[in-house]
Amino acid sequence: MHIPDNYLSPATCAVLGAAMVPVLGVSIKKVKEEISKAKLPQLGIGAAFSFLTMMFNVPLPGGTTGHAVGGTLIAILLGPYSACLAVSVALLIQALMFGDGGILAFGANAFNMAFVLPFVGYFVYKFIRDRVQSEKGEIIGAAVGSYFGINVAALCAAIEFGLQPLLFKGADGQPLYCPYPLSVSIPAMLIPHLLVAGVVELLFTVFIYAFIRKVSPGMIYEGAKKKSKAVYGLIVALICLTPLGLLATGTAWGEWGMDEIQEVITGGSALNYTPSGMANGFSFSALMPDYSVSGLPDAVGYIASAVVGVALVIIIFKIIAAFKKDAAAKTKA
Amino acid sequence: MPEWLQKNENYMPREDKDTFINKSILSFLALIARIKAQDKKEDRFQANAFFRVLFTLMLVVFVSVSRTFSFIYLVIAYLLLLLCFMPGREIAKILRTGLVMTLFTAIILLPTVFYGNTYSIFIIPVKVLVSIIAVNILSYATRWDQITIALKRFHVPDLMIFILDITLKYIVMLGEFSVEMLYALRLRSVGKNAGKYNALSGVAGTLFLKSRDMAEDMYAAMECRGFTGEYRICQKFRFGLADAAYLLINAGIIYIFIRLY
Amino acid sequence: MIELQNVSFSYEGHRALNDISLKIEKGESVSLLGANGTGKSTLLKLLCGIVTPDSGTYAFDGREITQKALKDPKFSKQFHQRIGFVFQNSDTQLFCTNVFDEVAFGPRQMGYDERAVEERVESCLSLLELQDYKDRQPYHLSGGEKKKVAIASVLAMNPEVLVLDEPMNGLDPKTERWLAGFLVELLSSGKTLIVSTHNLELVQEISKRAVLFDSTHAIAADLQTHRLLDDIELLKRVNLVDKYYHRHDDGGHGHYHIHNY
Repeated sequence: MHIPDNYLSPATCAVLGAAMVPVLGVSIKKVKEEISKAKLPQLGIGAAFSFLTMMFNVPLPGGTTGHAVGGTLIAILLGPYSACLAVSVALLIQALMFGDGGILAFGANAFNMAFVLPFVGYFVYKFIRDRVQSEKGEIIGAAVGSYFGINVAALCAAIEFGLQPLLFKGADGQPLYCPYPLSVSIPAMLIPHLLVAGVVELLFTVFIYAFIRKVSPGMIYEGAKKKSKAVYGLIVALICLTPLGLLATGTAWGEWGMDEIQEVITGGSALNYTPSGMANGFSFSALMPDYSVSGLPDAVGYIASAVVGVALVIIIFKIIAAFKKDAAAKTKA
Repeated sequence: MPEWLQKNENYMPREDKDTFINKSILSFLALIARIKAQDKKEDRFQANAFFRVLFTLMLVVFVSVSRTFSFIYLVIAYLLLLLCFMPGREIAKILRTGLVMTLFTAIILLPTVFYGNTYSIFIIPVKVLVSIIAVNILSYATRWDQITIALKRFHVPDLMIFILDITLKYIVMLGEFSVEMLYALRLRSVGKNAGKYNALSGVAGTLFLKSRDMAEDMYAAMECRGFTGEYRICQKFRFGLADAAYLLINAGIIYIFIRLY
Repeated sequence: MIELQNVSFSYEGHRALNDISLKIEKGESVSLLGANGTGKSTLLKLLCGIVTPDSGTYAFDGREITQKALKDPKFSKQFHQRIGFVFQNSDTQLFCTNVFDEVAFGPRQMGYDERAVEERVESCLSLLELQDYKDRQPYHLSGGEKKKVAIASVLAMNPEVLVLDEPMNGLDPKTERWLAGFLVELLSSGKTLIVSTHNLELVQEISKRAVLFDSTHAIAADLQTHRLLDDIELLKRVNLVDKYYHRHDDGGHGHYHIHNY
């Protein structure tokens, strides 16, 4: 579910990143209330655990494996606010240090996986646990919560994708980022998550939760004893409002046509772009004719092409040399 | 000693599909190796990490916003040039990461061709490739503690930076712990395991308990050293030849971006 | 049983084993001695198939152990059943919710029915004096108890060779002695033992033969234990002991220890 850069417009990323600022602020405040300030660095270890849960390969039927995100599990174990911070830190490290998941898309990824996923998962878990007060209730809560959490997060990602072609188009009407509208992006994201990823997440969460519950129940986050209702409303409202926020800030607001809106509402024929491209075919040579690049002075284009050529040769040579050296070292040793 | 212990087992194992153990071991090993590799990185001739983070971010924004292929082509030239100064092994890893994601993107976008959408099928995979290479050059060529310290100049609170450093340190420690546990699981998985999820959750659950214990120990150790929740990072900011050259190049990129936009 | 020929192994660019040749017969007990970081643990990991040689060969019961051989799940599972490994850090080896399941993990995989599993587990638990711990959670046991559970869980698979990585570490003196006695009993029931240790006092009780590693990660000596321990100059040269190390030999029961003055 890690969205790379260039799938979403920078504006979308900025909006979602901005939405994360108050979320993180509230989380830090809440966590400080729950544990002393001096214990905050412990969050780093929570973040490390959160990072590592994504490294486990979970067995699937037929001998294949899948990955879990573990957001709901961490929310149940550490509490939703600590989980939000821990997963955010883990995602930041993935984006910045590992180049995994986009840097710009960090806001969007954090929104989906550090905010929506753990909070939805945790509050579904808490809702069930508070009403079915038994071991069964807690396990069922963890199961339903984790399944819901990851699917709602996937839905959010799908909506973010699906809004791109509506909001961000070039002068010729072609989409600049993810080209699939909601009618395609939602099923494309949700079907695999409902069928596979959600199940992986559920099994991973339930089994680990059950293990820790058996071995060290005191380690599990207690949370407020009273049944909270206002929070659910807030979460739902926030999630519903986000797409609207995206629409409102989209630079292409004025470019909305009635037919496009209708298309979304009716879910009608998707991907209705100018069909001319297919007829013309696309020639790559047009992109860099005669080593000059359109829009650049000939000289600059030529130098750039020369740089590309020489650099590629050096790079290929270096890679080959690196592996040869390794092989040589092996045979010598 | 009981009798069964005194004779050999003569055991023939049954088939089982438990590749998840080996696959998990490989992901953990790759992760640890990656962190350790950057940790012992010698100083290269390069600009301050703050500039590198700042301008990598800028470059990724420009690439994302840019609608002309010419600009992206110049950025490709620039990035390839940077790659030339890196070791072959790192170049291979960066290109592989980038190409895998690019291919994935291209496949996802393939159906749009049939609707005449020629722009995104070509340009988006290229942009994905360029962004990934840019970020990975930063990631491979810079020591990560330098990156976290650079975040201070973006007004990230000191405590947050401290937490990032702790996270990285404990990813290695807990990662090594996980690998040992997975090895132990593999060595004892001598037949057919009816409860794979129990085994996996035992490893991950123990990892969680261990992480909580470590967190308590760390807090106790820090308290003993007088930690109260305030943390200050000191850094020296030097401006050298490498910084000047780097700024100049990036000024050029900004100029070209504005000219071509 | 075990034959290493000119085995070398590097880990993350560092040499960890340097041209090791070693032959261990069935029923033998061999102790590995050496200062920290000389390659003892790596060698044990290699013997158990966690890592494989970069160069040279390792043969177990006449069959060469390579990456490729271990890729065959049947062979690798059988190999792991025949050679059991007790990790240095027991925490990493225990991942079940109670001691009974922990010890039953191996036998259950080997296809024994639940009744036979129960018999074997009970037998193992009583061998290690753990009868009262059946329902306890391994995670919350003391260091000595964890070590016993780890040994029981490996022993339950009835391996022919038992490899122990610094089993005396962190045990109190009484448990240390008990363990040494237990290992001798195992030896007498026909098991092959390979033990790495820093405990010079107990090593001659466990093994007649001792292999000494030096700082070049090579074997410095492979002698009868008492002869190796008599060569104090050699022990000093490989940085295993300091100049205060000496021996009190009052005729009947000689032992080695260290005065700090």
